[in-house]
Amino acid sequence: MSDKIINEKGLVVRHDLVELVEHWAIALSGLLLLVTGIFELPMANRYYITSLPGLSWSGDFIKSLYIHYAASVVFIAAAVFHLLYHGILGEGGMIPRRGDLKVSLEVMKSFFGKGKEPPFHKYLPEQRLAYVGMAFIIAMLILSGLVKTYKNLYAPDMSLTLVLWATWVHNVFFMLFILAFAAHIGAILLKPNRPMIRGIFMGTVRLDYARHRHPLWIKEMEPESPPRDEVKPEPVPGGEAAKDEIKEETGEDPPPPPVVVSEEAPQEELKEEPKKEP
Amino acid sequence: MSADKKAGLNRRAFLKVSTGVAAAGAGIALPGKGFAAGPKRLATLIDLSRCDGCPGKDMPACVGACKTINRDKIPKIHEPIPEPWPRKTIEDWSKKREVFNRLTPYNFIYVHQAEIEEGGQKRTVFVPRRCMHCDNPACATICPFSANHKYENGAVVIDQDLCFGGAKCKAVCPWEIPQRQSGVGIYLHILPSLAGNGVMYKCDLCNDRLEAGKLPGCIEACPQQAMLIGDRKEIYAQAEERAKAMKGFIYGKKENGGTATLYVSPVSFAALNGTMKKQPGRPDMGPAARRMAETDKMGKVVLQAPLYGIAAGVAGAFMALSRRKDRLKGGEGSHE
Repeated sequence: MSDKIINEKGLVVRHDLVELVEHWAIALSGLLLLVTGIFELPMANRYYITSLPGLSWSGDFIKSLYIHYAASVVFIAAAVFHLLYHGILGEGGMIPRRGDLKVSLEVMKSFFGKGKEPPFHKYLPEQRLAYVGMAFIIAMLILSGLVKTYKNLYAPDMSLTLVLWATWVHNVFFMLFILAFAAHIGAILLKPNRPMIRGIFMGTVRLDYARHRHPLWIKEMEPESPPRDEVKPEPVPGGEAAKDEIKEETGEDPPPPPVVVSEEAPQEELKEEPKKEP
Repeated sequence: MSADKKAGLNRRAFLKVSTGVAAAGAGIALPGKGFAAGPKRLATLIDLSRCDGCPGKDMPACVGACKTINRDKIPKIHEPIPEPWPRKTIEDWSKKREVFNRLTPYNFIYVHQAEIEEGGQKRTVFVPRRCMHCDNPACATICPFSANHKYENGAVVIDQDLCFGGAKCKAVCPWEIPQRQSGVGIYLHILPSLAGNGVMYKCDLCNDRLEAGKLPGCIEACPQQAMLIGDRKEIYAQAEERAKAMKGFIYGKKENGGTATLYVSPVSFAALNGTMKKQPGRPDMGPAARRMAETDKMGKVVLQAPLYGIAAGVAGAFMALSRRKDRLKGGEGSHE
């Protein structure tokens, strides 16, 4: 996470390269899994998909299984990476917060002209809820898919109960994945959400949009002080000058200020701003 | 006692010998209670030197027994059969149930008559054909609803209550054994014209009978004792022994990655295959590679994928933490 305001370009960094790669790895491999999963049903021959240019392979279950496998390597590795990478870094911005469900309903009402949407953090409350839903669907698809793959390779006579569980969990969550995917695309196409589309392609969103709709996020990134060109060379609370003042008064070192690890950009700005008087 | 019986070729004798020799649990083909109980892997042997096609009978005894056992298996067909959309394929054998010279949803075994000319001599070989009950059957492993399953005893069985009749199992079977009956099955209760098209039917090795301690109908009915069932290892050993004794050939050991059905023949399977023209309901006996093997390597990579994710996630996070630490240090340094 390297959220940062770029004032000179009027943009805010919303996703870093790692997050973009994760998203697109899961999205594109997921799309391929979805399509090849449909071909495994079997649907391609019946619905003449095999007659479409470039899709004659779609009726070949072995070929589509191979592609399904290949896509799932990317899908699984990216999902596990996502979990561990952000888990270790303590980045939990997409984890739902208390009251998200209630606020989500208010936001959805506001889309239909009823009421006003509240100020947002980086993510909308329904984005956080949708994230957990999608993560659960993906986890179930991966777990059941791994059981099915193991059966295909090593245990064709695996317990029928386990096979049926894995198969039907895979099938049910496959349907839910399609619905969740459709809802995801539908949500991003809603007019108020459209400015976020840029973010998932370029990594940045417009600053004016973010200030207007995500003021709580901007507040987290911006220092309490006015913009830099207006900053007067005054000691800021917690700065080195302040520390010196406290030391002079008490004869002791002041306690260290709390470190906000996830907010790198403000720290960088803060680092430059406190200047000692000569 | 004939030489055959001495060699343990008689079906009952074979079973008895198996019982005695392998009573310690090496795998026993025992007619009676507990025959197929437990995780015993079974295999069948079809000795073509013994099958005579049951001359003088309306149909071979194995076929007749199978038809009798499965006579009421398929429920009443829905009339009219819903027309599938957009491809309008309907397969209805309900008015041709008597057909026994090919595989149909109402006929799980048939006997091919091969006229062979070898060394200037003509010879007739009868070849009973049914599902081979493969060791790793693609028909079962990639059934999208797990309606087709391979049991521990080796029987590959379609659950007609779960099958949608998409015929995927037939498409991936090298012998295209499963046969479809439209107008029956679970699809009728969901979206009959948009998804599904009936139920696939094939030999299930009389799995219900096996579980009840009985022999499969075809094996029990064969007057020539041309078919055997028993512990897989013993059947495999028997097949080798018989093939060696008759200087013959084995089919089913390596085909489609190995099967639980071994044919032993005094004439080559290439010659037999030459008499067979692969057509609907009439499989050939050519070489049959296991096509699923093409996906095995990638499947193994799939099983390793979580490890790739763990390695990359942990490494990436520690690199990011290290960068973050460096930045903080750099920040502190700039104040000095």
